[in-house]
Amino acid sequence: MKRLAAAAFASGLMASAAFAEDVTLTMWTESSNAPEGVFAKEFSDMDNGIKIDVREVRFDDLVAETLRAFATKTNPDIIAIDNPDHAAFASRGAFLDLTPMVEQSDQIDMDNYFDGPRSSLTWGDGVFGIPRASNTIALYYNKDMFRAAGLDPDSPPATWDALYEAAKKLTDPSNDVYGIAFSAKASEEGTFQFLPWVQMAGGSFDNINVDGAAEALDLWKAFFDEGLTSPDTLTRGQWDSTGTFNGGNAAMVISGPWELKRMAADTQFDWGVTLLPVPSDGAPRASALGDFNLAVFANSEHPSEAFRFLEYYDSQVERVWPEFTRMPSRKGVALAPTGNAKIDAAAPVFVEQLQYARNRGPHPEWPRISKAIQDGFQSALTGQKSSKDALDDAAAAIQKIMN
Amino acid sequence: MGRLARSLRDGIGFDTLLVFFTLAYLLAFAGLPLLYNIVLSFQSVDMFALGSLFHEVTGLENYRAVFEDPLARTVLWNTILFTLGSVLFQFTLGFALALFFNQAFPGSTWFRGLFLAGWVMPGLVVGVLWNWLLSGDFGVINWLLLNTGIIDDPIFWRSDTDYSLLAVMLANIWYGVPFNMILLSVGLAAIPEDLYEAAELDGATAVQRFFTITLPMMRSTIGAVIALGIIFTLQQFDLFAAITSGGPAGSSMVAQYWSWELSFRQFDFGRGAVIAVMMIVVVLGVAAIYVRSTRQETRL
Repeated sequence: MKRLAAAAFASGLMASAAFAEDVTLTMWTESSNAPEGVFAKEFSDMDNGIKIDVREVRFDDLVAETLRAFATKTNPDIIAIDNPDHAAFASRGAFLDLTPMVEQSDQIDMDNYFDGPRSSLTWGDGVFGIPRASNTIALYYNKDMFRAAGLDPDSPPATWDALYEAAKKLTDPSNDVYGIAFSAKASEEGTFQFLPWVQMAGGSFDNINVDGAAEALDLWKAFFDEGLTSPDTLTRGQWDSTGTFNGGNAAMVISGPWELKRMAADTQFDWGVTLLPVPSDGAPRASALGDFNLAVFANSEHPSEAFRFLEYYDSQVERVWPEFTRMPSRKGVALAPTGNAKIDAAAPVFVEQLQYARNRGPHPEWPRISKAIQDGFQSALTGQKSSKDALDDAAAAIQKIMN
Repeated sequence: MGRLARSLRDGIGFDTLLVFFTLAYLLAFAGLPLLYNIVLSFQSVDMFALGSLFHEVTGLENYRAVFEDPLARTVLWNTILFTLGSVLFQFTLGFALALFFNQAFPGSTWFRGLFLAGWVMPGLVVGVLWNWLLSGDFGVINWLLLNTGIIDDPIFWRSDTDYSLLAVMLANIWYGVPFNMILLSVGLAAIPEDLYEAAELDGATAVQRFFTITLPMMRSTIGAVIALGIIFTLQQFDLFAAITSGGPAGSSMVAQYWSWELSFRQFDFGRGAVIAVMMIVVVLGVAAIYVRSTRQETRL
């Protein structure tokens, strides 16, 4: 930096005091190849006197690692955090309320964001970050297998019954093909996949044992009991489950847009995406709202510099889809064509599905609520409890956590 | 040069100094955390209050919560089963291999060395390896069992509640055998050869020699190996993390993994500490056996 400053001085450009000293910010994220990592690098290379050191933290360890750092006051200035975890930090004052800065900002306007992502980072009257992007889950299906099984590839299953029938027809043990893949893992991924089914049936995380939810869980259980999905669906995450779809070992898979790039590159067959099937024709739709938020820590020494990065991020939001196949959380940003026909055909489906996407929480005790939900569906799927009992127990556990 | 300095350089003072450093180290890095863990188990610790030393004291509330948890019985049973099963097979197989390689055939030392390769691998790597071997749809183990006609349908080792604990146990047994073997080999090598020669002259059979010479002479080594085996098995964490994560539906959950899960997944540090405290009590008992065994060893 010294050389740059000297050069600036020599050419008589050193007009403002901003050049006097560089500010170095730290940012933690799951991947430096994610948009915030790439944008941070660009931002650091700009002539603005702000450098951002990006540190990668494994997704599974992000919250635990950040808590540890926060306890010892060695936390970063900026963090990219999974949206259901946001409330825990915001509600306890760990994140900075950006309201005053947003009011001054020409770039960021909270009203530009969709309600779902915005509410995930709102706590009380404050806003505690900006959304990085949004994602949601939908149903991918193998059109070649649909044709082979005598199903119409242009009218994929739209209801739970149709999904079950399709899964049954598509299952072909002699060729190692399961009808459907998804993730019922005992982790946040499992909650992410299960909650929309409860929501479509009229339930929610604080009302998990509605009648329809037990029906949804019965359907999941039928997938397992009748061999329509691999038993490893219980222990596999979404990325690995989708891997079996890409490899031709599952005819359908429920997952999100983050799969598109790999799927377009790896698959040898014709595939499409459709909205998550609903309980019956005309029933309300729901899906999960995923992805991360960017937040600034309350104890950061350079909050305004950190906010300037958030502004830069917001200004680059059009690139989030074509370059990263992540969906912008800002209204009115069209998904630019990526040049890949299959990805471009999937885009409008995910855009529509995102309209129905709902938050997990927000609740400061989300990890424990999520665990109760996971215990619920896993104890039913392994036959330890009936779906009804499992969800009743989960509801009781969640009530206890929330009170 | 004063007497104190002389004593410090070569005398009782020097010994005291060495003991002092060791004790201070142990107290600071093992004793204090251990005590603090006990204190934590009686407190309600909020995930954001980690930085403060003192928290709200809630008495036995955490203990009550842990014991009332529906998972508690499964965890207790699983932990006992996992520990005893692992140690039994690690020890028996390790002993058998130690005796085998003790036969001094050509290349025996080389093969014994090769066996250690598994043991020097990090637990997570071993876990990932076994994850592939045990995979339900594409696993090598299922392929072997299916092709030899032992089973008709694939076993979903990681996802079937009847097999999940066994899956981790298999991996752990494989992982622990070399360690048992090498320690037991050392014990075998320490038995004087002339004892066997004398017994052989007196007409003792191989089986008689094993039970009247090998086993009694190995008593302290066996005690130490089993005690260490129990302690290492109670520490086994990586394999659970890599293979089943304690699931599905808690069917392979053991105390050490549950403690971590409560503390670092649900951020309930108080309850996590409760399990750690109870494990310390068990380990103390086992450590006592270990100390007794090794004390005898030095007397020999």
